[in-house]
Amino acid sequence: MSDTFDLVQLLEGRRVVVVAGAGGVGKTTVSAALALGLAARGARVAVVTIDPARRLASALGIHHLGDTPHRVDPSRVEAAGMRMQGTLDALQLDPQATFDRLVAREAPDEAARKKILRNRVYRHLSTGVAGAQEFMAVERLHELVDSGDYDVVVLDTPPARNALDFLDAPERMTRFVQGRGLRLLLGPRAGAGRTGWRALQAGGHMVMSVVERLTGAQLLTDISEFLQSFEGMYEGFSDRATAVRLLLSSDSSRFVVVTGPRPEPAGEAILLWRRLRDDRYPLGAVVVNRVHAQPAGGDDQPAGLADLLRAAGAADPEGLAARAADALTAARARSAADRHEIRSIAGALDAPPITTVPALEDDPVEVAGLARVTRELEGG
Amino acid sequence: MGVPPLTDRRLAFVLGKGGAGKTAVAAALALGLADAGHRTLLVEVGAETRTEALFGTAPSLADPVEVRPGLSALTVDAELATQEYLGIQLKVRPLVEMMARSRAFHQVTQAAPGLAELVTLGKIWDLATTVRDGAPVWDRLVVDSPATGHGIALLEAAGNARALAGSGPIKDQAEAIEKVVRHPAATGIAVVATPEDLAVTEAVEAVQALRARSMPVTCAVANAVRRSLFTDADVQALGAVRADPATGDAERAAAQAAIAVAEGARHDDREVEVLARDSALPVAVLPLVPDLAPGSGGLEVLSAALMRDPAVRGAA
Repeated sequence: MSDTFDLVQLLEGRRVVVVAGAGGVGKTTVSAALALGLAARGARVAVVTIDPARRLASALGIHHLGDTPHRVDPSRVEAAGMRMQGTLDALQLDPQATFDRLVAREAPDEAARKKILRNRVYRHLSTGVAGAQEFMAVERLHELVDSGDYDVVVLDTPPARNALDFLDAPERMTRFVQGRGLRLLLGPRAGAGRTGWRALQAGGHMVMSVVERLTGAQLLTDISEFLQSFEGMYEGFSDRATAVRLLLSSDSSRFVVVTGPRPEPAGEAILLWRRLRDDRYPLGAVVVNRVHAQPAGGDDQPAGLADLLRAAGAADPEGLAARAADALTAARARSAADRHEIRSIAGALDAPPITTVPALEDDPVEVAGLARVTRELEGG
Repeated sequence: MGVPPLTDRRLAFVLGKGGAGKTAVAAALALGLADAGHRTLLVEVGAETRTEALFGTAPSLADPVEVRPGLSALTVDAELATQEYLGIQLKVRPLVEMMARSRAFHQVTQAAPGLAELVTLGKIWDLATTVRDGAPVWDRLVVDSPATGHGIALLEAAGNARALAGSGPIKDQAEAIEKVVRHPAATGIAVVATPEDLAVTEAVEAVQALRARSMPVTCAVANAVRRSLFTDADVQALGAVRADPATGDAERAAAQAAIAVAEGARHDDREVEVLARDSALPVAVLPLVPDLAPGSGGLEVLSAALMRDPAVRGAA
């Protein structure tokens, strides 16, 4: 079963907290609640969300979460019964804006920058290429850590089918932009001129002429122009990818894996945790979100309920008592199933630190609701 | 009625946020259509499959596999669909194989804006329009689309390709596909949401995005909606018992559990209302079915509820 320990305390003093897990488990709420807890204890905190979490924005008193940080009004936090000793900024990832800034920084000159920003393949990159969003999230993280404005950045990772994608994104993206094979085949168009590859190029030209026949020449022109524009920028890209990986692997970071008490997300959480452990990423804890509380009374049947309901003036006390007893049985079964799932996570992972958050009817709408989640994460 | 209901359209796309139960709704719709006598194909998009968990039979990447009488399933994978498309276009086997092996070709397909979506949509279109011996091979196709953003990208792929591809066969084919996908007599789109604030907001945004692109959004589906057998008077009596300090633990827990059921149902009803109001669509309401595993009967319950809902079947 889960221990009562203080997850916020465990994360204090870190520079990066990565919150990962399957989609739909409440990662964003957990990220915000952890960020709130760290800020309350005195840290300058930024929380980066990926999803357009309007409810979270309103919970934090921010009308529009955007690419630039918004400060959460400390009086709201104090009103929720929490002392605010640090600061909390929230922002939502804008992949295109992040990539545009990266290009601006790495491009050799203004003309090169403009050319890239106009390219159709580039405009499509942040939405169309697998891993691009994850790459931007990591890049934004890097920016925020580098800025020196924050003691800790809490990152809510993208809702990927496979939560592991996130870790490979920087390298995959760098490889894509390098486009070695493609560059070779586009030949003079892309400015690759190694003569030793002529044989390969002959086959390659055939590939390209087929593509051209199918798509028209414009697409190939766009692609080669795109690759050309990135010439001389790979080094910056791959340095960046290496720096991010180093940061995430270091003791300055902690990974928090969020799951729900159901087999599907739990299975993903287990895989993710193992993968993180095998790759020596610094593990924080597993958060099991939306756990159904155990009803009181152990296994006792509510034998006296019909009499009580009769006294309370119910029209059909026997029938109502029977239906209420069924509801209790269902609630107990649900709670037992949740506990079983938590035990199997613990068993599969050699008892990692596990903390639970009870099921709420809705995700928090106000700072008070978020503060409640924070207190649960602090060990109740 | 100006437009045909979802059940009358040859091609149905089921869209929704991850975790909304899109796959279950698509499977339930496909099952219902097959039971109604239509030769139905359930199409999954992408490498991962959940159809197996619902029918006990894994769909195949290459050929449709019959999972129930009259109902077959197929997984469309962009990479395989691309190779297939090349095969049709080039007709020369070694050339196709060379293309498929070429790393550069894979990189072009990755870099080409929306190409993966286009070949996927093209494959679906091909399945929907294939005729054998004078009759369509499939009466109905139900597509379990990728999660919202990617699902919209899939539907948009043809229009985008038409705009991007300067000339050549891709442009022509994109035009043909776009015509079918936008046609409200041929294609319908159902947007699925669970009765939760965030899910409903996202679904409404998806509906608006689809409308803005002139896509034939047909209905919304509220999935996993909790029902309550408790009346307001029941809840009042249960509340009195719960508040009484003399009530025993088990009795209080039972009263509490019953009240929670009533409150959950009321909460879900409100969300369904919001979904109907903000999407301005007919909303089909599906019950919360805890077990959808093959043999549990859960999928059949879902399917029956879906097929008798006027939002899906059309007004009588």
